[in-house]
Parts: sequence; structure tokens; C-alpha cells
Amino acid sequence: MDKKSPSYILIFIVLISFVFGLAISSVHYLTLPMLEKNEALHKNRIISQAFMLDVEKDTPEAYEDAIRQFIKIDSIEIKREKVEFFRHREKDYIGFIFKGLGFWEPISGIIVMDRDLEKIINLKILEQKETPGLGARIEEPWFTEQFQQLAIKWNDNQKIIIGATSNPDKSNVVETITGASQTSDALMNMLNENLAEFKKNYKDK
Amino acid sequence: MADTPKQIFIKGIWKDNPVFRQVLGICSSLAVTNLLTNTLFMAFGVMFVTAFSNFTVSLLRDHIPARIRMIVQVLIIASYVMIVDILIKAVNPDIHRFIGPYVGLIITNCIIMGRAEAFASQNTPWLSFLDGLAMGIGYSLVLIVIALVREPMGFGTLLGFPLPGREIWWHQWTIMVMAPGAFFMLAIVTWISRKIQLNLEKGGK
Repeated sequence: MDKKSPSYILIFIVLISFVFGLAISSVHYLTLPMLEKNEALHKNRIISQAFMLDVEKDTPEAYEDAIRQFIKIDSIEIKREKVEFFRHREKDYIGFIFKGLGFWEPISGIIVMDRDLEKIINLKILEQKETPGLGARIEEPWFTEQFQQLAIKWNDNQKIIIGATSNPDKSNVVETITGASQTSDALMNMLNENLAEFKKNYKDK
Repeated sequence: MADTPKQIFIKGIWKDNPVFRQVLGICSSLAVTNLLTNTLFMAFGVMFVTAFSNFTVSLLRDHIPARIRMIVQVLIIASYVMIVDILIKAVNPDIHRFIGPYVGLIITNCIIMGRAEAFASQNTPWLSFLDGLAMGIGYSLVLIVIALVREPMGFGTLLGFPLPGREIWWHQWTIMVMAPGAFFMLAIVTWISRKIQLNLEKGGK
């Protein structure tokens, strides 16, 4: 068959796409148990850090044990989707998984608050694919630690603020990331929307 | 006459080194070299992709229609990058979280596309494989040299292990953790290696 003919080109591209697609799918399928295990470890580690649990070792079993011992897991509806809702068995802490669209791709994380919903205890990012060195810094401790003890202004549309504000009361303001205002805004909006929805449905809990 | 395997390795590692001679793959050279462990994973990724994409392009060179050769090369490279991405995610998710965005960018690394077009499409699969491997090694060695300076100076560690007695003598060079430290180091490595190359060339005449 003539290599320049459209039919040859079409058959060639279909064939090569199929072969490489199959190869990628096979590698993904073979590593799936490892990927799932890693994902579970990462999630348990983030939950433990968000609730500031004492975990003896950095092993999947240690995190699982700590969560089983200290955290009660339930679900709550946010934006017409069931998300995980956590209660600390010994302290007055509650938390849930927030989700939303970042600058590039979805962001998810865990926000832990006191049971009266007056202040944030901790915030940790579960997944993000923002720009490395800029938006991706939302998961760095210097940024997430700013949320600890942050007040939540329920009467305001902006329950928490990331970035500059004209409001002299700065109890609910977090410093933004230089050069990543789009990610900071996206995170702020998703937190405010998720918090509003959470409060609506938390009453029934 | 085609190069011998020895000549291919000398060119990839020294004479035509992709980083300090061809100034390719600079983005990842700057991004991942503040920790040696990240550098080693990135080096593995680039070596794997250059070697196997060169091999595959060479294997198919008589069948790839000239009009779509670039598309096919990108497809082959992207497939290998996705395989590397899945493997790193499965083996070491913590490192994947840091270097993940750069692993994806291996697809656009000019070293790989350049070698596929300049070498693999005109040489035998075995020589092409060696050429890809040599270029990958050449790239990796430069990155390792940079990381061997940046990590100890920036973090006081090597492969994550604290330097001996660092409490007494070590003082952090924060700039080495940041992008400017990578620029300085890359410029120094390029300068020294070019100087040696020029001296050798002069001495040979």
C-alpha cells in the first residue's frame, strides 16, 4: 500500500493509537492495586494531619488505626453530592471534604472546624494540580497554617477571605500567594460556597 | 558511517550533552534539582522515555508516513511518558506529587523530540536506543551534579539524610532551594564544562 495514501495514513494512526492505548491501559491496570493503596494512604494521612492526630508511625496501618480510634466518618450533602463528614470522638472537632474547581483542575481538601462552626481548626489540601511553584503552593504548611484559628464570618458572603480586604477586622483573612491570585480566588470561592452549603445541611446532623 | 556505541555514549554524555551543549531540557533541570531524590526519579523518567521512544521511532521508521511523522513521534513519546508517570505514581506517590507536573512535561522536552527526529528516524533501533540512553544519561548527570550542590546547601541533607554534624557548621543558603539557585548552578556547570571542552579542543589541534 502506498505510504502517502490517506487510507494507509488512517490505518497506521488507528493501529498505533490502539497499540499504545492498550500498553498504557495495561500498565495502569497492573499498577491499580498499588495506586489505590497509595491513594488511601495519602487520604488517611491528610485526615490525620487535619485533625492533628498522634500517629506513631508513617505506615498505612498506623493511619488507619488512628482514624478508626479517633474519627467517626459519616456523609453530608454538599452541592447535591454526598461528601465525607468527620467527627472527632474525643474533641469538639468536625470536618468535611470540600471540592471545587481550581485555576486548572479540581481541588479538594479537608476543613476542620469547632463544633459551633465559629472557627477553623485546620485545613489541608487533598488533591490539586495547580501551577508548580505558584498555585501549587496552596498545600504548603506556611499557607495552610494561616487557617488555624481563623474566624468564620457566617453573616458575610465572604465567610473567609484570601487576599487583600478593605475590612479593618481581619480575623477571617488569610494572606494570598504572590503570583497565584487565580488559584487563591478559586480556593476562597470554593471554601465559601462549600461552607454555606455545609452549614445548611449540618443542622440536620 | 554510523557512530559506534562508544562514540554515541561520548556524544550523549559529553560532546553533544543535551543540557550544557545543546541547552535543551532546561525547564526540568531548574525545577527538580533542589532535592536529589526528585532528580533521580526525573532522570530515570527521561532516560526511559528517550531510550524507548528512540527505539520505537527507529523500529517504525520505514512504516511511518512522512506527512504525519511528527504526530506519530509525539504519540509514541506521550505514551512512554504516561507509562513513566503511572509507574512513579505507583512506586513513590510522595515524589510524584512534587515532580508529577514535570513528568508530564517530559513530552515537550526538546531532547526527546530532537533525538527522535535527528537520530532515530535515520538509524537502526539498537543504535537509536543507545543514543536515547546516552542522551538521557548526559541529561541526568548534569541534573545530579546540580542537585548534589543544591540539596546540601539548601536543605542541609543529601538524599533526605542530614549532613554529618550540620548543627555545628552548616548554614542554610535559601537561594539554593529556589529557582535562582538552579540558574546559578546551571550556568556554573555549563561554564566549567564548556571551558574544559574548549581546552581539550585546543589541545587536540
